[in-house]
Amino acid sequence: MTRGLLPLLVALTLVATSCGEAAAQQAPILSGALTKLDIKPAQIEGRGTPKGTLTIAMHFALDPGWLDPLEHSYAITQMMYDYLVHDTMIKPMPYGYVTYGLAEHAELSADFRRAAFRLRPGLKFHDGQPLTTADVKWTYENFTGAYAKVFHDKLEHVQVIDDRTIVFHFKEPFIDFMDLYNGGVSGIGWIVPARYYDKAGRDGFKAKPIGAGPYKLVGQQAGVQMVFEAFEDYWRRTPATKTIVVKGIRDGAARMAGLQTGELDVAFGMTGKLLPRLMSDRNLRWDPNFTGPWWLMFPGYNEQGSPFRDKRVRQAVSLAINRSFLVKQETQDISKPWGNWISGENRDALQGPEAPVPEYNVEKAKQLMKQAGFPDGFEVEYLPFPPYFDMGERILTDLRAIGIRGKLQSLEGPAFRAKIGQGRKGVPGNRTIVQNIDPRAGGSKANIAVYAVCGSTASFVCEPSIEALWAKHQASLDPVERERLVKSIQRILLDDYYFVPIYLNSFVHGIGPRVLPEGKAVTKYWDTLNAPYPWPWEVWEVKADR
Amino acid sequence: MKRYVLVRALYSVVTLWLLVTIIFGLVRLTGDPVAMKAEAGADPAYVAQLRHRWGLDQPLYRQYVGFVGQLLRADFGHSFEKSLPVRDIYFERLPNSLKLGFAAFLISLALGVPFGMLSALKVNSMWDNAGKVVALLGLSMPGFFVGLVLIIVFGIELGWLPVLGKGSSALVGSAPSTWVTFWFRDWGHLAMPAFALGWYFSGAMLRITRSGMLDVLGSDYIKLVRLKGVPEPMVVAKHALKNSLIPVLTFAGLNLLVMVNVSVVIEVIFNWPGVGQLLYDALSNRDFPMVQGVVLMSGLLIVLLNFTIDVLYGYVDPRIRLSR
Repeated sequence: MTRGLLPLLVALTLVATSCGEAAAQQAPILSGALTKLDIKPAQIEGRGTPKGTLTIAMHFALDPGWLDPLEHSYAITQMMYDYLVHDTMIKPMPYGYVTYGLAEHAELSADFRRAAFRLRPGLKFHDGQPLTTADVKWTYENFTGAYAKVFHDKLEHVQVIDDRTIVFHFKEPFIDFMDLYNGGVSGIGWIVPARYYDKAGRDGFKAKPIGAGPYKLVGQQAGVQMVFEAFEDYWRRTPATKTIVVKGIRDGAARMAGLQTGELDVAFGMTGKLLPRLMSDRNLRWDPNFTGPWWLMFPGYNEQGSPFRDKRVRQAVSLAINRSFLVKQETQDISKPWGNWISGENRDALQGPEAPVPEYNVEKAKQLMKQAGFPDGFEVEYLPFPPYFDMGERILTDLRAIGIRGKLQSLEGPAFRAKIGQGRKGVPGNRTIVQNIDPRAGGSKANIAVYAVCGSTASFVCEPSIEALWAKHQASLDPVERERLVKSIQRILLDDYYFVPIYLNSFVHGIGPRVLPEGKAVTKYWDTLNAPYPWPWEVWEVKADR
Repeated sequence: MKRYVLVRALYSVVTLWLLVTIIFGLVRLTGDPVAMKAEAGADPAYVAQLRHRWGLDQPLYRQYVGFVGQLLRADFGHSFEKSLPVRDIYFERLPNSLKLGFAAFLISLALGVPFGMLSALKVNSMWDNAGKVVALLGLSMPGFFVGLVLIIVFGIELGWLPVLGKGSSALVGSAPSTWVTFWFRDWGHLAMPAFALGWYFSGAMLRITRSGMLDVLGSDYIKLVRLKGVPEPMVVAKHALKNSLIPVLTFAGLNLLVMVNVSVVIEVIFNWPGVGQLLYDALSNRDFPMVQGVVLMSGLLIVLLNFTIDVLYGYVDPRIRLSR
């Protein structure tokens, strides 16, 4: 009798729980009309026992500052650590670009002046303290990182209804709020424990952060190594791996050697010359990710004296590039020739028939150069994205065929980014071609806002036609119209060759034999949209430690 | 003697002040660290906030005065890139560099001195020629090349030694038990980087030992000892070796400082978490406080060593202190 009742009771409890969750999702927080939000529910998985150690090598030195979401930079790298230690209200996951995290329900008023969230019950930080709306409010108010000004300028006040319910009131319509509040775009939604942070201070928090994420930091050597242990009370599931060790290893050969000796299980940045070695090693596996395309820019193209002022010259550059050959030589045929400068992982990016791969036609390119008054070509400076200097040389070889003779400028990564960050001002002269890549979250509009509108600090394109469309976009409260405008801007950028797309790059990471599952199925870990690193980390499985 | 020591101390202070001023100026010629940290599209408010947080919105003279003031309080400021106090990071890394430097130093002595002696004792023989070849290889094969060969052979092919990092032992100032384990554990991790670093210096050590030994063996007092019928092993061990080692030890002392402070390439290849790699990262990222801190600490070590040597010279040779 008891045996028969038990499963029934369990089943009834589960039904009651799920009904309760559904009811909670439906219980409105805001009065009045609401905007329809497309936020996927969280996939709550099983409990278990974490096992084994996963050792990961980043391709640069580690920054303890990445452990503090309050000072979240624009660098997407920081999100790797957000996904380890912290958790956010809404975030990209393999099952959706916007999914529920700490929040189980969200609302946005139809006038975009109020946003509300309900936290899921029983949330805890690593130290066992409950995570409440007081922490959400405190995080928002004390956030100083990227986009902080927008969030603070727009905010009128925060209303804490109870420990689980919070409403943000804005001074004016904040149509981008849900996009920007998404953990894949900014750091303000990654919640820190208010009391602990206050007590520890900024330095103390970076040294010993506490979050609500699947892993807790148990040790670090600044710049060298961070050690994380599974937080078994994590709400979504028990992390599968017990210990994750992240090391900063700049030297590619050292990362490759670490994979080969078994000291590393995952190594990032295994592209270029390392790739054939990785692919030929029978013990290792590799996994490509296509979050960003390469493209060329022409700083100062619209100035007197620039040969790129003529659209035909820009088109000739595009026609001269043998994309298929580049893909083969540079990435062992893994990458894909691509017709846009924005990744297809962005819903609003032109792709497929809307943005076909540009033609390779040297004869036509030569004709265009002749028509534009450059039958003998001209000399340019060429600024490749470090350390892809070989790729730069190959592109210059292609351009030489139509008379464009280039001098390669090799810069270290940070120096290159510093230049690009200043946009047109960062690149003197108007005979330079810049080769760039930027796997940026936030949709196509984020890419346009950075590189293709006049007011941006990193602007390389300033065109009245684009400005007019962008102004309409910024003023519009209609998401459908905004998407259409974003696509129209992309159309202009591509049709007028302001940006010349090359190919969708395959960022490859190497995977050692200890990572489960065995075989090719290991590629499942990199399914989150717009993720330059394979998060979430709680799903990674390794063989148990010997 | 007191006046002599005071004068030397004053020279040291002036040298350090010059170093402080030069490194403060030079590091600022490398460009704007804010532009490097703020990604493309960062809003001006964020950029301004970073600049303010790092004190770069102040006029240069104020930054300089603030920097010197911090130094007087033994504070090197906060790392721009690693977001923590420079002093904490530096002293976390220094023991690793000392461990690597000392091990490489011992290897360079162990290879250079006996081979140098053998070459000198068997001059123009097969042993001497072998020694010359070793010295030539030591000087012509850079450490990174030796390191990569070692990684391929002993790390990847044979699988005998780990290729990354320093192992799990760490020196914790507040835990005396770690002081011993730090130095005597994880030799597998230390072996290859120490050999690759020590190998390069062993060539020079060999040549200096050889020439020093040849000079001493050809000197009058050694001839006299031999004429007195002292057995050859005793001549070498008791009379020649000690005197021939004076230039070797002076050279070795300087080498040790170099190995501790600037073994950048070896540290990068083996991912050894030392001061050299710290400096490399800091330079790449325009991390002004970190570059200043590392350079000044290295400079301080060199100035202190020179000061100590000067004082010792003055102590053992009165002519030196009286001539000043």
